[in-house]
Amino acid sequence: MDDAKKAFCYVHVDEELCGGCLHDVKACPTRAIRMKEGRPVIWEGRCIGCGECIRLCPAGAVKAATSELESVNEDQISVALVSPVLYSQFPGTMPKEVLTGLRQVGFRHTVDMSYFLEMFQCAAEEFIVRNRKTGEFPFPLISPVCPVVVRLIAVLFPSLLPHILPIMRPVALMVREVKRQISLKYKGKEDSVTLYYINPCPTKMDSDRMTFHHERPYIDRALGINDVYAELTRQLEKPGKPDHPDIFDYKPTENSLIWGISGGEIIDMHIRRTLAVSGLEETIAYLEKIELGLFRDVEYIEFRTCPEGCVGGTLTAVDKYLAKNIIRKTFRKGDIGRRVSRDNIHQLYEEGRFSAKSSLAKLAVTFGVRNTPLSIEDLMKIDELLEQIHGMDCAVCGAPDCRTFAEDVIRGKASLGDCLVLQARGMKRDA
Amino acid sequence: MAALRKTFRINKKDFIHAGEASISVKNLLKSLHVDTKLIRCVSVCGYEGEMNVVMHGGEGILSVEIDREKVILEISDDGPGIENIDLAMQEGFSTATEEQREMGFGAGMGLPNMKRNSDHMTVESEKEKGTQIRMSFSMADEKGE
Ligand SMILES: Nc1ncnc2c1ncn2[C@@H]1O[C@H](COP(=O)(O)OP(=O)(O)O)[C@@H](O)[C@H]1O
Ligand SMILES: [Mg+2]
Repeated sequence: MDDAKKAFCYVHVDEELCGGCLHDVKACPTRAIRMKEGRPVIWEGRCIGCGECIRLCPAGAVKAATSELESVNEDQISVALVSPVLYSQFPGTMPKEVLTGLRQVGFRHTVDMSYFLEMFQCAAEEFIVRNRKTGEFPFPLISPVCPVVVRLIAVLFPSLLPHILPIMRPVALMVREVKRQISLKYKGKEDSVTLYYINPCPTKMDSDRMTFHHERPYIDRALGINDVYAELTRQLEKPGKPDHPDIFDYKPTENSLIWGISGGEIIDMHIRRTLAVSGLEETIAYLEKIELGLFRDVEYIEFRTCPEGCVGGTLTAVDKYLAKNIIRKTFRKGDIGRRVSRDNIHQLYEEGRFSAKSSLAKLAVTFGVRNTPLSIEDLMKIDELLEQIHGMDCAVCGAPDCRTFAEDVIRGKASLGDCLVLQARGMKRDA
Repeated sequence: MAALRKTFRINKKDFIHAGEASISVKNLLKSLHVDTKLIRCVSVCGYEGEMNVVMHGGEGILSVEIDREKVILEISDDGPGIENIDLAMQEGFSTATEEQREMGFGAGMGLPNMKRNSDHMTVESEKEKGTQIRMSFSMADEKGE
């Protein structure tokens, strides 16, 4: 696949490595993958970028669409926006050292996220406290921080969209502010500035990327943590590195590290009835329960679709349990409390500077139109077909299970002849 | 008019799987792109009904009928039945055991919630013979929870 095409989906398949197994087809939570002629085909409109297929592919053939690190030096002014998960990949190394290392790799500026995480937290608390009185939004409110959860809800649980906390995500707050600062500093040279986001999850870089950041698309390129890991390790191992902070550092704190672990977002929130859930399967199970009316007495739920939280991200370089350990050790060293001024945040809040309402609405529309409804007659036909097949979800047809296959047939996307069970029984009569 | 009918078993005292029938119904409604508010109402009612069968009832069945105008949910079981239906319908009334309360059930809001979230609800019950609850939901108008 050429680079232009790659940029428009979260994942792509390396045909040469692919062994044609069905792991990815079966693992996909939105049933976006079908095996056609021995090769997986991804229905991009339904892919939410959870990375489960990357995780499960035994051949390593499924890859995230990210930019290349080599391109960094070519850019005149490259700025690295850093997810705090990056810090958890290097034992005994403090966040500011990691940022220095990144500048040695070739980034002109490096931006730490902790300040924006604090801002988000403050705004989120404010929203929740106000919502107790107004009841405008339904409890439990759902954290917007994990982009996969937001997209998962848009595709599979649209009735829960009103539960998503309509506050801009920390990365969006960060990007907005950096963009402002950059254009002040590099007046007239904005075109030669490239913003990179270094993070642990697959990121789509098309005009839809508001579905990831749910705000304006400011980021130019995304890098996986594993894309920078080797080079960064080399730089960090070099002795006697200079240690002067960058103007865009925003003073990294160790506090941000805890966000990489499931529960890290809520642990320091001044809200009592909270929950943290991690892992794709558990997340889906809990969303089902919320849709059945459970957990109304909980005010805020932090979901992360990756196991153990973002340290379990598909594009990390270090094992998640190791990373957790590194975080615990580094975290203990520093404890500086919050820096953001509550009054300041309240002022901005009043001005509507954190609101993500309109982008959430757009998100709902984007995913909503991609999926045509079935009719009652269609559902009845699917049931008839299922009875006829009477299969056991062998997936040889290329669909993850018999029900999905029957649905594909009804939608005209598969033919009955693809079903081995029907073939074996010689059931040509209804085909 | 074409109507889709489905039935699901609710096993006696099976707390682990209670709710699965409602999730299946919910998924059917989702593939029809039914209004999300209606999906919420049907889901909430189905779940409360399933939980009641598992907590208070016996072996049960949840059946659903969907056509273009309405959804009908029927939940029945062969358990001990409800002695005083009017009393059971009151908010906060519950005969849940101490143990069930410790598990977080027994708020006495199940039946009232079902009443509130459906357009029409009938409860039939006879002592020692079981309970049958029927709820209908109109596709057209909007309901609040
Ligand atoms: N299927 C059933 N079989 C027997 N009794 C039931 C059934 N459903 C409800 N009840 C009775 O009605 C009461 C009220 O039910 P509900 O409003 O759901 O509250 P809760 O389940 O919290 O007790 C129950 O405590 C029980 O005594
Ligand atoms: Mg009940």
